[in-house]
Amino acid sequence: MKLIYEKSVKGRIGFSIPEDSFDEISVDIPEYAKPHKEYDLPEVSEPDVVRHFTKLSKLNYGVDDGLYPLGSCTMKYNPKINEKLANLDNFLYAHPFAPERYVQGSLQIMFELGELLNEITGMDKFSMMPAAGAHGELTGVLMIRKYFESKGKPRHKMIIPDSAHGTNPASSAMAGFRVVEVKSNERGGVDISELEKIMDEDTAGLMLTNPNTVGLFDENILKIADIVHSKGGLLYYDGANLNALLGIVRPGDAGFDVLHLNLHKTFSTPHGGGGPGAGVVGAKKELIEFLPSPIVCKNEKGYFFEFPKNSIGRVRAFYGNFSVLVKAYAWILSMGPQGLREAAETSIINANYVLAKLKDYYKPAYDRTCMHECVLTGKEYKKYGVKTLDISKRLMDYGFHPPTIYFPHFEPYAEETIMIEPPESESKETLDSFIKAMIKISKEARTKPELLKEAPHSTPVGRLDEVKAVKNPKLHY
Amino acid sequence: MRYIPTTEKQKEEMLKEIGVSSFTDLLKDIPDSVLLKTDLNIPGPINEQKLTERIYDISKKNADFFSIKPLVGAGAYRHFIPEVVKTITAREEFYTSYTPYQPEISQGNLQSMFEYQTHIAKLTGMNVVVPSIYDGASATAEAVLMAMRLSKKNKILVSSLLHPHYLETVRTYTEPHKTEIITIPYKNILTNIENFEKNLTDDVAAFIIQSPNFLGGIENVSEFARIAHQKNILVIQVIAESLSSGILKSPGEADVDIVAGEAQSFGMDLNFGGPYNGYLASKMKYIRQIPGRIAGETTDKNGNRGFVMTFRAREQDIRREKATSNICSNHALNIVAGNVYLSLLGKRGLKSLADLNFKSAHYLRKKLLDTKAFSGPDYPFFNEFILKSDKKEETIDLLMKNGFVPPLDLSKFYPELEGYLLFAVTEIFTKKDLDFIAGLFSR
Amino acid sequence: MGYKIPEELKYTKNDEWLKVDGEIGTVGITDYAQDKLGDIVYLEEIEKGKKIKAGETLTTIESVKAASDIYSPVSGEIVEVNEDTIKDPSIINKDPYGKGWIVKIKIENPAEIDKLMTPKEYSEYRKE
Repeated sequence: MKLIYEKSVKGRIGFSIPEDSFDEISVDIPEYAKPHKEYDLPEVSEPDVVRHFTKLSKLNYGVDDGLYPLGSCTMKYNPKINEKLANLDNFLYAHPFAPERYVQGSLQIMFELGELLNEITGMDKFSMMPAAGAHGELTGVLMIRKYFESKGKPRHKMIIPDSAHGTNPASSAMAGFRVVEVKSNERGGVDISELEKIMDEDTAGLMLTNPNTVGLFDENILKIADIVHSKGGLLYYDGANLNALLGIVRPGDAGFDVLHLNLHKTFSTPHGGGGPGAGVVGAKKELIEFLPSPIVCKNEKGYFFEFPKNSIGRVRAFYGNFSVLVKAYAWILSMGPQGLREAAETSIINANYVLAKLKDYYKPAYDRTCMHECVLTGKEYKKYGVKTLDISKRLMDYGFHPPTIYFPHFEPYAEETIMIEPPESESKETLDSFIKAMIKISKEARTKPELLKEAPHSTPVGRLDEVKAVKNPKLHY
Repeated sequence: MRYIPTTEKQKEEMLKEIGVSSFTDLLKDIPDSVLLKTDLNIPGPINEQKLTERIYDISKKNADFFSIKPLVGAGAYRHFIPEVVKTITAREEFYTSYTPYQPEISQGNLQSMFEYQTHIAKLTGMNVVVPSIYDGASATAEAVLMAMRLSKKNKILVSSLLHPHYLETVRTYTEPHKTEIITIPYKNILTNIENFEKNLTDDVAAFIIQSPNFLGGIENVSEFARIAHQKNILVIQVIAESLSSGILKSPGEADVDIVAGEAQSFGMDLNFGGPYNGYLASKMKYIRQIPGRIAGETTDKNGNRGFVMTFRAREQDIRREKATSNICSNHALNIVAGNVYLSLLGKRGLKSLADLNFKSAHYLRKKLLDTKAFSGPDYPFFNEFILKSDKKEETIDLLMKNGFVPPLDLSKFYPELEGYLLFAVTEIFTKKDLDFIAGLFSR
Repeated sequence: MGYKIPEELKYTKNDEWLKVDGEIGTVGITDYAQDKLGDIVYLEEIEKGKKIKAGETLTTIESVKAASDIYSPVSGEIVEVNEDTIKDPSIINKDPYGKGWIVKIKIENPAEIDKLMTPKEYSEYRKE
């Protein structure tokens, strides 16, 4: 399809420029700041733009198109009413430097969302500032860093399981920690004896996703918390997989000291093609003073910003991805306590159902019941020359978005992984048709491997040459 | 619950297929002591109608911001947003999809990234564009870390007229890396070039300058870059009001090395501070150290043009603790907004709109000075300027009473600027509005 | 899968090989390593004349799906860099033990050579 630049016709415009009635202003920009080169943005009319982007949109696949079972991404339905409510004029046009008494509504949403999340997670105070999960991680580990510094005993290491998402080690490194990896045991959880060996008094703590990226609840969570806390360390909860625990377990009750939540996963706000989401951070009492500033508080006069005394500072210019917060707030109220628990239960049943129906065709990484996602493998099909990549590409021909593949990866259990997360908004009928497609593909892998290796066959473009994209970089028109 | 299709009967069927007798059998990995024994203590469920009323009522506790126009910018600008931007970003294919991990069914997002990279490459004069970092402040912090990796040095010079919130974000991000930050004072509302030269030592990694600066001043970036490059120091230009690129010399032309920008002005609502959209841009030779997702052109197996995420080996999912950054999810939907906005405006629209902002701001400043209620320095500025009011509190009150979000009181950021207010004027104000504002101060 | 493991070389656990020629050691990555990486697209520039210790990062190598560090098998001074592989690192995929060599190092401490794996040990180590 043509680029917007290739549709440009000299003289066209898609914008009505307001009248310029300032002829009397003769001031000019200084010589040193005048451009010598002209830039040429495309020249297109409003209908040109609408057709172009409508056509582009049709090359995408979204949650509203069908099952989007990306593991650890929680691609659940995004309620339409929440979009409308986040776009109310008084929210949309609120300037971040407006006086506090002008923004009591916005502050109320932020404060009350924090209170709801406190109850859901068992934490004591939230910051709405971080923009995404990884941004929340960075915020959380910087708080941990500052916690030890404020005690006059800085610590330098952070323990991260080998099953963790890549952002955990990357965030720890950004926060100046040396990353120490702890291996998983044969049941997919943290290897306790190894954790005991590496946890020491120079280790700030452990970052844990629970359920972890293999979709398993770490059955040793209380022991893990003990080991970390007994050496004075802190436990960080990566909330990427909180969907499984809503109304079932609160991380704060299981020993976690600081956490982030991905509102765009568990709390139904749309993923936007890769953002904006929100990676809000919750802290237990002892850590509130380190939260990024400002945080929203309330007294008898109303809502106001407060600056925690030992704050790590700002992690961005303003207070948070406000429109995302409104959507999460609306979702929680729509669900209520029973609805939240039902979401977790249904997602767990969905994942176990898929696992039960597919385990004879794709060997599970660990043969156990799972939480909200299951990890299968495509190992057996290697002998037919078929890789997991080929299986996932073929799924597109059946009208599904492929699951997460090749992650997590640790041998010998989890190689050629297929990580499937069917959130609560997916019906049994949808799952059944997905299961049917997966079984059909497993047969094709044996009998017609070429069909898979050439897949997808029905998409706007075929497999793309990623090597060429790096070797002959073309990053703009 | 209307968002959950599974019926009780289906649940039972599914549990049977799984081979357990009840749901609780699926929770056997969880220690009993951490299982919640009671319902969460939260309100709800409330129905769609009640929810709408409740949140609508909360929104009413805000000022009527559509009518109450801001005379403040300071990193967040109210510009008019054409409806087409909303129509397109409200398409489910854009807002309910995720990161384009599967390029075959994500060409819409990928091509849009590529087009937007092209717009920003043209406006900044740079060859590499990362179309989305969370916001301008975090993009600036990432640019500083990038410069430290490139130079293997950890001292940076920062203009004191960098947005104070951006500077604070830089401090947060660099604090673990023993970065020495030296701020360069200002003179006549522009960064002091003599002081800058004095601080140029061999151990400096980079110099960060915002232009237009926090007080609206148009800096002589070319001259700073020329001097910095004599000492092999990288120059990072921060652009908080990207509309200015419609009429100002591009960073590329000024020989800047890295650009950290905030694209909120390109079709994004004020939204009480977010989500906005930061971008990074640099010379091609720095591509391996730039963080964030980039789209690149390639071909499919049949030779058709297509787009993929490229230079992926920089990223956290491949390189873990050695990645250039932890960033993965960003503000992708705002790339679409920015792309639509810039496509609608085109070259002529952007230039005219930037010119109109420039003139409107100069008009208001002149009118306010004419009232004698204000005084202030003469300096080159884009659409923001500072003026001193001897009766600061009264001025702010008067503007609020008359239906404006007041200009920014600068004393909390720059104590020496007690009495000074930072005004922003965009195209949302007509000449009549501006005359009315000035009229409030002429007795 | 039958990776090539030439008899005359020494090997490391990180899949580098070392060929000793008097006091000069040539370093590259093994057939196994290039296969695991896939299409190699980038090899970070290496400074000639630099002194390096055994086990230190020599350079970084990237394919489209992976990135990894290459460590020096021995200590010494980098006396030659293969500019052809830097320019076109896909040579490593085609000829990892020949044209795809990466650097030559003037070996400081020959005792370090003995600590490396023999072809037999390496073959055992990377047995599928």
